[in-house]
Amino acid sequence: MAGLELLSDQGYRLDGRKATELRKVQARMGVFAQADGSAYLEQGNTKALAVVYGPHEMRGSRSRTLHDRALINCQYSMATFSTAERKRRPHGDRKSTEMSLHLKQTFEAAVMTQLYPRSQIDIYVKILQSDGGNYSTCVNAATLAVIDAGIPMRDYVCACTVGFVDETPLADLCYAEESGGVSSLALALLPRGGQIALLQMDARLHQDHLETLIEAAMTACKGVSKVLDEVVRQHLQEVSVLTGE
Amino acid sequence: MIKTEKTLHLKSCRGRTVRVVREHYLRERVPCCSSLCQADCDHDGKVLPGDLTHYMVPDAAVVVDFLEILEFRELQGVVFTQTACQALQSKGRRYYNRLRSLVKDPRHDCVLFANEFQEYSYCPREKGESQDKWMTRCVYSAAVWYYNHLAGMMNIVMITEDQEAVAQYSSLNSGVFVISIQDYLQNFWPELQAAHELYSSISQVLQEQEGEDSQKEFAEHLPAEVLEAGIKSGRYIQGTLNVSKHRVQNEAFITTEGLSTKNTDMSSDVLVFGGKHRNRAVHGDVVVVELLPKSEWRGRTTSLTQGQGDEKNEDDESSAMPTGRVVGILQRNWRDYVVTFPTRDGTQNQSRNSQRILAIPWDRRIPKIRISTQQAEALQDHRVVVRMDSWESTSLYPNGHSVRVLGRAGELETEVQTILIENCIHVPPFSDAQLREMPLNSPEKPWKVDPVQVRRRRDLRATHLVFSIDPHGCEDVDDTLSVRRLGDGTLLELGVHIADVTHFVPEGSLTDLEARTRATTYYLADRRYDMLPAVLSSDLCSLLGGVDSVMWELDAQTLAVNKVWFGRTLIRSSYQLHYELAQALLNGEPAHVPELAQVASEDKDAKLAELTHALEMLTHIARHLRAQRDRGGALELEGVEVRAQLDEDRNITALVPRQPLEVHETVAECMIYANHWVARKIQESFPSQALLRRHPPPRQELFSQLVETAKAQGFSVDTRTNKALADSLDQAVDLQDPLVNRLLRMMATQAMSQAMYFSTGAQPQDQYYHYGLALDRYTHFTSPIRRYADIIVHRLLIAAIAMDTGAEPKAPGSNKEVEETAHHINSKNRAAQRAQNLSMALFQCLYFKEKDPQTDPRCVADAVIYAVRDNGVLVFIPEYGVKGPVYLRNKEGQVVSVGPDGGCDWQSGSVRRHHDRISTESASGSATFRLFDHITVTDQEPASRRPGGHSGGGRGQLVQEVVQEAVRLVQEAQQREARPRLSKEEREFSQSRTPNLYSLLEEVRELA
Repeated sequence: MAGLELLSDQGYRLDGRKATELRKVQARMGVFAQADGSAYLEQGNTKALAVVYGPHEMRGSRSRTLHDRALINCQYSMATFSTAERKRRPHGDRKSTEMSLHLKQTFEAAVMTQLYPRSQIDIYVKILQSDGGNYSTCVNAATLAVIDAGIPMRDYVCACTVGFVDETPLADLCYAEESGGVSSLALALLPRGGQIALLQMDARLHQDHLETLIEAAMTACKGVSKVLDEVVRQHLQEVSVLTGE
Repeated sequence: MIKTEKTLHLKSCRGRTVRVVREHYLRERVPCCSSLCQADCDHDGKVLPGDLTHYMVPDAAVVVDFLEILEFRELQGVVFTQTACQALQSKGRRYYNRLRSLVKDPRHDCVLFANEFQEYSYCPREKGESQDKWMTRCVYSAAVWYYNHLAGMMNIVMITEDQEAVAQYSSLNSGVFVISIQDYLQNFWPELQAAHELYSSISQVLQEQEGEDSQKEFAEHLPAEVLEAGIKSGRYIQGTLNVSKHRVQNEAFITTEGLSTKNTDMSSDVLVFGGKHRNRAVHGDVVVVELLPKSEWRGRTTSLTQGQGDEKNEDDESSAMPTGRVVGILQRNWRDYVVTFPTRDGTQNQSRNSQRILAIPWDRRIPKIRISTQQAEALQDHRVVVRMDSWESTSLYPNGHSVRVLGRAGELETEVQTILIENCIHVPPFSDAQLREMPLNSPEKPWKVDPVQVRRRRDLRATHLVFSIDPHGCEDVDDTLSVRRLGDGTLLELGVHIADVTHFVPEGSLTDLEARTRATTYYLADRRYDMLPAVLSSDLCSLLGGVDSVMWELDAQTLAVNKVWFGRTLIRSSYQLHYELAQALLNGEPAHVPELAQVASEDKDAKLAELTHALEMLTHIARHLRAQRDRGGALELEGVEVRAQLDEDRNITALVPRQPLEVHETVAECMIYANHWVARKIQESFPSQALLRRHPPPRQELFSQLVETAKAQGFSVDTRTNKALADSLDQAVDLQDPLVNRLLRMMATQAMSQAMYFSTGAQPQDQYYHYGLALDRYTHFTSPIRRYADIIVHRLLIAAIAMDTGAEPKAPGSNKEVEETAHHINSKNRAAQRAQNLSMALFQCLYFKEKDPQTDPRCVADAVIYAVRDNGVLVFIPEYGVKGPVYLRNKEGQVVSVGPDGGCDWQSGSVRRHHDRISTESASGSATFRLFDHITVTDQEPASRRPGGHSGGGRGQLVQEVVQEAVRLVQEAQQREARPRLSKEEREFSQSRTPNLYSLLEEVRELA
């Protein structure tokens, strides 16, 4: 119904990518000195800032303390200037709360929390500019921030969204595609073992297509992990040069 | 891998202007789709040939306005740019889809180049640059890129209508020429006259679009978002606009698609009354309506309209039904229309601009179209194809332009072309490339079965007696039968062998594509348009070589199915029988079998006995199968079928109704059985993408006419299930009048919904049922030469057989593709059906045209009343298979009165309509006409009587009116014996009923 043609007959998407191509990912680690870990990540026009504090002892209500592992506390927010029309409420609305919860679940699966019993790890993510795939950008940024903080993880957590148009999976949707009525699926993957940390979809999709969609999402996530790995190595090199080791 | 770049877009949404930033990725390698390519781009699909003089790159504005010219197949080497494509997309989805199918179609020599994703041909829009200028610049830079990419081996011609661009760019690069369309056509295609005409016609329209006056005639349509929201919330209803055939001016109905409305009581149609409420929607458009308040609801008119007089009285309306007005149009379904120009005296004085003419469409449901042309006088009585361009709210009529001239109205060739175009049937002769794909079969080099194929197929040539039964003189024999006793005689083997067309027509070949677009062979009264080239349809596939077979082993006693076998076989048809011959053999009458003419007499007797025995066995089995289906509730339906007998000059010599024989049924039964088993097989193998055919149960309310008519005759008809309906139809037999049963069956047939193809993935399983045949699954398998659906089914079956032998399951198409194909075939089938009926009607019309109703006895016929209206009755003439109205009140208000001798004449009086009868009262007495009464009528072809060019209607109706041609009629009421003739009345047919321009003009003149 909506007028946009998401995938042309020649196999191009709206922005000139092919179906399996990701948007350009650019990232920097250690952008802030005050926090324990921080990272800035751009995935196309979606830009996110992630900050990690901890592990530190429990703050706020001590009753939430876990005795065998660390508590992960996530907060997701969007800058008021992140969308085309100014946003009224940067965080605390239903969508952000849900997103925070998803992030929490994702990182509980990836961070080796049992190393830090009775402590807390805070992950704050802020979307500076939103152009689709907010969740995956947040996860990718937060992964870099956690690594920057030196907290041990089982693996990188890489996330990517995949949409399904004309029987073809499209990797890494942009906003125009997301709002064009595509049934999209978000997947967070621990790429080395191929474990899925989180899978989320709230659109209708025929069961037969699910497998191909997940397959495509996993390939996309592995692509993201390569980029992240490069960023981390680059960062380490820079840091080691600075410290003269 | 990719370079990234960003573009800024300013975009407004919901009124506010918002700044949107979008990414834009560029790449170095974008396939150029030319065979001259030096950089080996990876092309998949179409490639432009390298042996042309130039490639042509049309500008965005050219593509938007002159797409029709670019659709000419003669234009070769067209490169559409993505920029142009997007400009077209903003004009409308329909245009864009046309371009898409153009690019996909391998018969057109054009490609699409994604210039905006190419690193070097992309140019970002500069600040302050207008959209048009930017697009022209983009297209030019794409043209330059092409020139350089092909290393200067091919000249590029960019065409544009922007004169500044021509001046600016033409001298910049040596190999890239920038010229206007007109120059282009004149320099490169001077002989393509049709394109030149089209160009001038379109450009004239474009010029005149500017100077429109601003007086509002219609309400504006609502924007698309509002409509969509309204439909979702239930405020508006979406549906297809159907203009009533009988009340073109006022009545139109919205047929809602079952799914789009949730509340079930709204499933009935919505009435749209009057031109203002119809709000520029044209028959066939997908529109959105808003319901009016209940106080303004009206019913549909039930009286027969005769002229323009009796439209206004509102007494003759049925109960009120939901009434609404059109608030927006979701999709225009405009096609090509055939029109005639009005005669000069009427409308032209009135129009301000003498070049603009209101043309009258052939289809009365289409409003008059305003077109600009200078040839109006030259084309006075020609039929012309036009297209509609737009319909502004300031205009009473839509604007259009002429496309081509068909020929003089009234000539057979013109009329047949008209029928084809009006039904969107496009049958160009097969191209050389398609014919080249065909196998050779000439007397010198007869086609032989490939030895490889012989090994792969089961050979039945020696073992089975195979024969075919078809109509006399039939050329495309695609089905044969065989039957034999197995072993000890307890088993029978019945075989149905169908020509293996798919062997000759591989999927995706040019022939396949052509067959797909045609979808079926079109049978008109005097000719046929084949779906496949003649080499296949009447030569090779007619069962010389390989075939697909379905064979059953049946128990000889109970005829229960023991085993079914599907597979590819080789056969040799021993006898090519026709129905009459087969029936004669069965009846034991002496018959002359041409294949046995040379055989010695003893041999002949034995062979004849063998053949007759086989036929008898076949009949036995078919009877059993039929009985089996009858128990399930299969219906026997009746359609009016009349064949026109033509002499050498294609003049009709007689109209002959079809004679049914038992052999017809025998063959049909075997085919139905084969179709059924194939349907089962492919559905089991491909549960979600098999092509089946379903026949949904009819809507009960449609039976009301049947039930009431039957009640009038004292029969009760139970319509709840197909079984009950079949039984009660069998009982409703009037011993004195066999026509009663036939008419009732005809009415039942009319109430039926159409059977249609579908993909099994698109319907729930309980919807697979075939109502008419009473089978749970059905498909078409037995006529691959003339139906494309059968070709698909063949491919599915072959894939299914391959799967049984352990091959990878590979379906010929996904559910979505199959469903799309099914839709396409359905619509083409309907078109074919309509075209066939129309051509039949045309010939009926021609038949009566030459007869003088006063003197020729053939124009006087017996007719049966089958429905009663407020001012007349509807009759059926069995002799010619024609239905038509008979008016009992003429325009002066006089009614028919029946004299004592049974003769009739017009007198002043009144008409009263009762439930099942209609009576007229006049000074000389009263007369009553009941349902199923026989009356005598004279047929008259209206065109011969009409004062030449009197009304705007012109020559539009030759074909249409034949259905209602009982113009002057004589009838006889209760007395069946005496059949005197009576009154006459002259009737003019005019295209549009109420205030047409002519009548308005007449009024003005009278006032003056």
